Amino acid sequence: MDRRTFVKGSAAVVGAATLPTTYAQAQAAPAKLRFGYAITQSGPLGPGADSTVVSQYKLWAKRVNDAGGIMLKKFNKKVPVELVAYDDQGKPDELLKLTDRLVQQDKVDMILSPYATHMNLASAPIINKYGYPVIMTTSTTAKTYELGSKFPFAFWNISQPKESTEPMSKVLGELKKQGKIKGRCAVVHPAVEYGVEMTAAFVDAAKKDGLEVVFNKSYPFGAADLQPLIREAMATNPDAFLAFSYPPDTFMVTEQAQIVGFNPQFMYVAIGGVFPGYKGKFGNKVNGILVYGGIDPTVPGMDEYNKAHMAMFNRPSEAGAVNVYSALEVTQQAIETVGEIDRKKIRDVIATGTFKTLWGELKYVNQLNANPWAVGQWQNGEVVGIFPANKQGAKPLLFPKPAWA
Amino acid sequence: MILFEVFLGGVLLGGMYGLIALGLNLQYGVARILNLSYGEFFMGGAFTAFFVIMLWQFNPLLSLFISMPIAFAMNWLIYQYLMIPLIRRASDQDALDADVVLVTFGLLFVFQGLALVNWSGDLRGYSFMSSPVHLLGATVALNRLLAFLGACALAFALFLVLRYTRFGTALRAITIDPVAASLVGVDVRRFSALAFAAGGALAAASGMLVSTFISFSSTIGVEYTLKALIVVIMAGVGRVTGTLAAGLLLGVVESLGGYLVDPSLTIAINFGLFILILLLRPTGLFTRA
Repeated sequence: MDRRTFVKGSAAVVGAATLPTTYAQAQAAPAKLRFGYAITQSGPLGPGADSTVVSQYKLWAKRVNDAGGIMLKKFNKKVPVELVAYDDQGKPDELLKLTDRLVQQDKVDMILSPYATHMNLASAPIINKYGYPVIMTTSTTAKTYELGSKFPFAFWNISQPKESTEPMSKVLGELKKQGKIKGRCAVVHPAVEYGVEMTAAFVDAAKKDGLEVVFNKSYPFGAADLQPLIREAMATNPDAFLAFSYPPDTFMVTEQAQIVGFNPQFMYVAIGGVFPGYKGKFGNKVNGILVYGGIDPTVPGMDEYNKAHMAMFNRPSEAGAVNVYSALEVTQQAIETVGEIDRKKIRDVIATGTFKTLWGELKYVNQLNANPWAVGQWQNGEVVGIFPANKQGAKPLLFPKPAWA
Repeated sequence: MILFEVFLGGVLLGGMYGLIALGLNLQYGVARILNLSYGEFFMGGAFTAFFVIMLWQFNPLLSLFISMPIAFAMNWLIYQYLMIPLIRRASDQDALDADVVLVTFGLLFVFQGLALVNWSGDLRGYSFMSSPVHLLGATVALNRLLAFLGACALAFALFLVLRYTRFGTALRAITIDPVAASLVGVDVRRFSALAFAAGGALAAASGMLVSTFISFSSTIGVEYTLKALIVVIMAGVGRVTGTLAAGLLLGVVESLGGYLVDPSLTIAINFGLFILILLLRPTGLFTRA
């Protein structure tokens, strides 16, 4: 044995002796964090799920990985994320089967929200059963208030019907007191659960605020012509016109209100009003229109996010998508606070913490987002948050809405 | 007055229904192919118009010069290379119908999938001629009026071709009895292929016209195939002017019913009318007994 091999050999022994501790640590840090989701990719809800939700999952994963991954401080290591995706075809039973699969077979580390109210609701019991904290990003229903205590692992990110309509009723009540309007409101909505619940919430609030709902009618989802309905609403001479609408009719209501020259001083359209295509179609005429959801475009990081979004999808983002992105940011921050994948601890951090996100500062009370953007308004060609008025970045209401040019 | 406006709105809406059904009736009536991917050419026509105005800022009507020839060529190819083999091997019309439905159903997903990959699932729309027009005291949208006039013009042109040209006579002969037509020297395959292709081109044209006032996405095709199918079955297979008339009836009943009874009942009223016609005249309103 010459000196050199002895040195090599002893180095190997020393190395082997010290190896187990470092090796064990390195092994315990997972090679990647797997985020699983079953979401609607085929069928009528597919496009909406893709543009509002799936796009954000992909963008977030890319941005996180470009930055090296999620920091797990227990291992002092950044771990990249991987997405595991399935198509639930818009069927709740399929979603449940696939969620089972994500947990049992794929053994994913975290689960992400499916798309649309009924699917979010269907998902809550099962993720709760398996103890996976999930921030549901596309569910708005009066039922949500009862869900907090039932499913402690489910969080609800967006504005619910009550919070989405009460601030508008309140501000209209104040305008009436100031004598600026007579307080006549016309409401239309598609005959789907969302439209019915939003309308019910608004009508309740309007009564309390001393407003008069002079017109309240529903139309079938996917109606081909809403002009007669708008004519009727217009004939009641309302100050405020609110359409608790879905995307295709949001566009149609807006166009046909222009055709018949219906110029309410206060006009609201619901889902779809924040879409880039909405402004693409109507240009500057969108100014003054109120919409469901909102953002504060001045939040730090928004520019970088918008650039990355544009680069990845070649189209601008919208408020609904920013909400989804914020849920991912919360999840990431909670994981980094805990420092490992301990889902119970992560759940507790989400439930009690405060998070800085692109959608403003988020905090959950009884698992409901305490103060989400509820109502936005198109001002100078972009959507800004109006209500809740006490939220950071909230802009004053532009009233009256400029007449159609 | 408002009632007249509602009626007029119904007429325009009905024109749109007739318009989207014209091409399908050519495909189904003459070529005897129930093309479930019909609506995808409608969607293609809408997207072409969208890109022409939004990307190149040209008049979207010019997109017809792009979308119609492409749709014509694609439908011709579909007929020649996908439908002909099915027609050859089919023992009777029922067996052919089953095969055709399956194949065109598959095509629907191919076209829709391609559109989703290339154009995403975003909702699109643009403003074109979206100004009000005042007709006898009623207000209608110029773009809806344009689609209505387009429907009338296309139906009239089609009527003239079918009635007064040799080609049209051959098509009518095929509609009535393809076997007899071939016996008197009509090249059934060639003429059917042309009718099928023309039907596809009409789908693209209607997509363009309707896209001026309806927002759309990559997945909208199926919805319009179904709408067109209802009108075709109401009118009677192979009836061109009847298609427009059936569309008008549907539009007017929908508008007046929605206004006079309740707007949330419009779909129920539509299907009620459809069922009624199926019960009373199962071969269609405008088919001669």
